Amino acid sequence: MSNAAAMFRSAALTALRGAAAILIAAALWEGVVVLGNIKPYYLPRLSDIVMSIIAVPDAYITGFFRTMSETLLGFAMGVVVGVANGVLFKHSRTLRELIFPLFVISQTIPVIAFGAVVVLWFGNTILAKALIAFYLTFFPVTVNTLNGMDAVDQRQVDLLRSFGATRWQLLFRLQLPAALPQIFVALRLACTLSLLGAIAGEWFGDTTGLGVLLLQAMYNEQVIALWAAILMSGLLGTSFYGLVALAERRVVFWRSEL
Amino acid sequence: MNKRRTLAVLAASATLGLAALVPFAAQAADPVKATLRLKWLPQTQFAGFYYALEKGYYKDEGIDLTINPGGPNLLTENLVATGADTFGLSGGTDSVMAAIDKGMPIVSVGVSHQVTPFVFVTRKDGPVKSLKDFEGKKVTAWFTGANYVLFGMLANNGVDRSKVDIQPQQVSVTPFVNGDVDVATATWYNELYTIKQRMGADNLRTFVAEDYGVTFPRDTLIVSRKTAQDQPELITKFLRASIRGWRDAMAHPKEAVDAVMKVAPTLDRAHQEFMLTEAYRLMTAGQAKAEGLFWIDSKAIQATEEFLLKNKVLTKPVDVATAFDGRFLQTIPVEERRP
Repeated sequence: MSNAAAMFRSAALTALRGAAAILIAAALWEGVVVLGNIKPYYLPRLSDIVMSIIAVPDAYITGFFRTMSETLLGFAMGVVVGVANGVLFKHSRTLRELIFPLFVISQTIPVIAFGAVVVLWFGNTILAKALIAFYLTFFPVTVNTLNGMDAVDQRQVDLLRSFGATRWQLLFRLQLPAALPQIFVALRLACTLSLLGAIAGEWFGDTTGLGVLLLQAMYNEQVIALWAAILMSGLLGTSFYGLVALAERRVVFWRSEL
Repeated sequence: MNKRRTLAVLAASATLGLAALVPFAAQAADPVKATLRLKWLPQTQFAGFYYALEKGYYKDEGIDLTINPGGPNLLTENLVATGADTFGLSGGTDSVMAAIDKGMPIVSVGVSHQVTPFVFVTRKDGPVKSLKDFEGKKVTAWFTGANYVLFGMLANNGVDRSKVDIQPQQVSVTPFVNGDVDVATATWYNELYTIKQRMGADNLRTFVAEDYGVTFPRDTLIVSRKTAQDQPELITKFLRASIRGWRDAMAHPKEAVDAVMKVAPTLDRAHQEFMLTEAYRLMTAGQAKAEGLFWIDSKAIQATEEFLLKNKVLTKPVDVATAFDGRFLQTIPVEERRP
């Protein structure tokens, strides 16, 4: 119980420290632009950017939630498929040797090359963007799950076996839990990657989303709107990363160094 | 056992039969689903289509239309040729003919911008006073059509293209504003506004394609050859609703800008108002005054074809009369088409 309280306190402290850092960065931004007399074309004042978001909040809010759903959906698919792949490859050498090289090849193709095809196949749907996000996330999760499971101490496996543990018991009691710290490394990576995939996916003729706002601002040379879209994307990425990191603290409680 | 099987087969065939009947029944009652793929992101360059959609003009014609924006990574010709989109507002006469040259089954059923939408800009106090002065200077152009306009202007006026340092133009006009580039390309409705805002209209000199004997009609409406064959009425209905949308958009420009900004709320309103006026000016130039919006000026297109052939953009002649099919437009009375 006191352990939980301590954890909560430390999480609150981290959040507080984060907020303070953001405030200081914001003040610095505003100060440098005003005092340095930087032209708004290169870097607009933070207050101007925030005001521009407040002026048309609906566009940014709907964009935020649309991109968030695409990101979460792609992330979830990537994690499920990635972990399942890892387990599968751990148990079947043949599958691993057969399929893994194909995965590697698929990952060497830049995702942007797929964008137009995905639009041809799935149109302007959330699924199309989620698939691009999925494409970017499943691979790191697969690799890290596999690595984590490979790193399990063979003596522990032997010990459990000697007590008559089944394959499933081995998997859920030892191998997956032992691989969790490694899997979470991939999840933290995957949350930024899936956001990237969702945003890139929106560059192929979509109508809503932060990626759409980014594209419109960029091509219309609306620098303030461009920064507004960047800030919103950053907010989405940071919150998502924060949530995953928080989940990691909870789940991988034995890992004290993080 | 056998009887049950026969029954199952009967039931299945009855369901299939019903299923086959349903689309026919639905088609008669419900509007036809169709999409329009634009050549670029939502902006008032396409206001007439958005206005017609908002006012229900497509619905009046029995079309349930979805407008899909374009973007830097999409080629409208491809999407229409594959059937992913029904209608397309594509690059221009040049990109339509290049696509047909590559064997894409598309037909243009109307041309939006009657005259060249591009203009070349230089600073008034700079070294470039005439087209001849382009020689030895750094000129940037988009290599998606504007480069041909530039080549044509230079060739028509005896300027040696190889002596001009022509480079691909990037998204931003900043290199020109900063003076790193002597001459930049702009569209009348978009970049020219941005450049004027940042440098002042009085500090600029422009080179207009038409003054140097070049007309490149652009923003072409396209359909797949299959649609042209199987659904000619759909095309006529689409054209009628679109023309109505454009005419009414110009009668109520504020509302038209609203319709576009509903789709893209972060756009700059003043810029969009300027764009609407300029786009409509390009749409109603030349023969469109008498013949109406989306008029296919076969003489101008023929000239473009000859030019593209000479410059090896096309590998073989394109039959302009089949590539640009004015039949659908001409079933609409001309007084309904005039601006």
